[in-house]
Amino acid sequence: MSGIDLSRISILVVEDSPFIRALLVNSVRILGVQSVRSVDDGAEAIEFIKLVEENPMKAGMMSVDIVISDWEMSPVNGLMLLRWIRRHKDSKDRFKPFIMLTGYSEPKRVHEAREMGVTEFMSKPFSVNALADKLKSVIFKPRQFVHTSSYFGPDRRRQEIPYSGEDRRKLSYNSPEVEIVNV
Amino acid sequence: MSKPGVKVRFYRIKNRLKEKTAGLGLDANAVIEFDDDLLSEAEEALNEMAEDYPDWVMSVIDELFEVHRRCVDDENNRKGYFERINSIAHDMKGQGGTFGYQLITDFAEGLYNFTSSGSGLTDNHVEIIKAHIDAMRVVIRDRIDGDGGEIGKELKKGLEQSVAKFSTHK
Repeated sequence: MSGIDLSRISILVVEDSPFIRALLVNSVRILGVQSVRSVDDGAEAIEFIKLVEENPMKAGMMSVDIVISDWEMSPVNGLMLLRWIRRHKDSKDRFKPFIMLTGYSEPKRVHEAREMGVTEFMSKPFSVNALADKLKSVIFKPRQFVHTSSYFGPDRRRQEIPYSGEDRRKLSYNSPEVEIVNV
Repeated sequence: MSKPGVKVRFYRIKNRLKEKTAGLGLDANAVIEFDDDLLSEAEEALNEMAEDYPDWVMSVIDELFEVHRRCVDDENNRKGYFERINSIAHDMKGQGGTFGYQLITDFAEGLYNFTSSGSGLTDNHVEIIKAHIDAMRVVIRDRIDGDGGEIGKELKKGLEQSVAKFSTHK
């Protein structure tokens, strides 16, 4: 078994509550992440991500590898931030892993964030084990991305599960309408 | 150039994060886990910090009192002070329940709604703000967690009465 060395991973924490922000930042630091930046809301996060891309020396961070973000923030909430990362023309890394931290677990919210291309959810209050599991999943089990007319984000099918009913999927990896891009 | 008529595109992304965490020479089948001692240490640190929540929130309540005092002393600038109170209440409502203090969330939510844009700025409004802050201070001073049972009900009732009293006084 090998230990996980997160010392070269950079994380951006987006959370408007100072107390929870401090808990998150300290927890990822104790897990070994040396490069952590925290901001108050989605608007600040977008500005920071742009700064890192344009001038990493000035930003004090060479890249933003993973975003851990709250949902309820003002003026730009977590879902709007996720939309910017996945879809905006100024977003340079649309594949960026995004962990949504939320006190909401209603199916509607989960569905909304999944449709917007969220990578993982983590509910509040979080435990260190939950945080470690989410980071492990993001780093070691990344999913391919899917781009269709109505969706862009990580493949929502995490595993192949045998299904006894009629297979209504019209396309396979071999269909001419399907393109596989290695990036 | 992409093929004509492509309806679905799959992007298979090189795993750069894994390279950063474990190096290039890692055996693809190697079992990679966080060190158990590290996880325990982190959990302990997190719990210790979470135990500080009442102290932390008391400092926020003190700040609310200070802003309230300015509302009393400096009537002309009430709008800005109300906005500050609204912003503090927003933070508080999102986290009280998370750390076991549901009444903080409930009272902060009331305060947040009461001071949201469009609210009035009269002396009675300032009194109602004070009633919310008083209730929150009792919750933390007496460490009333959860819904507070009977004491919680009394506190809620007391706050509702204060709100009703000042709402009817013009």
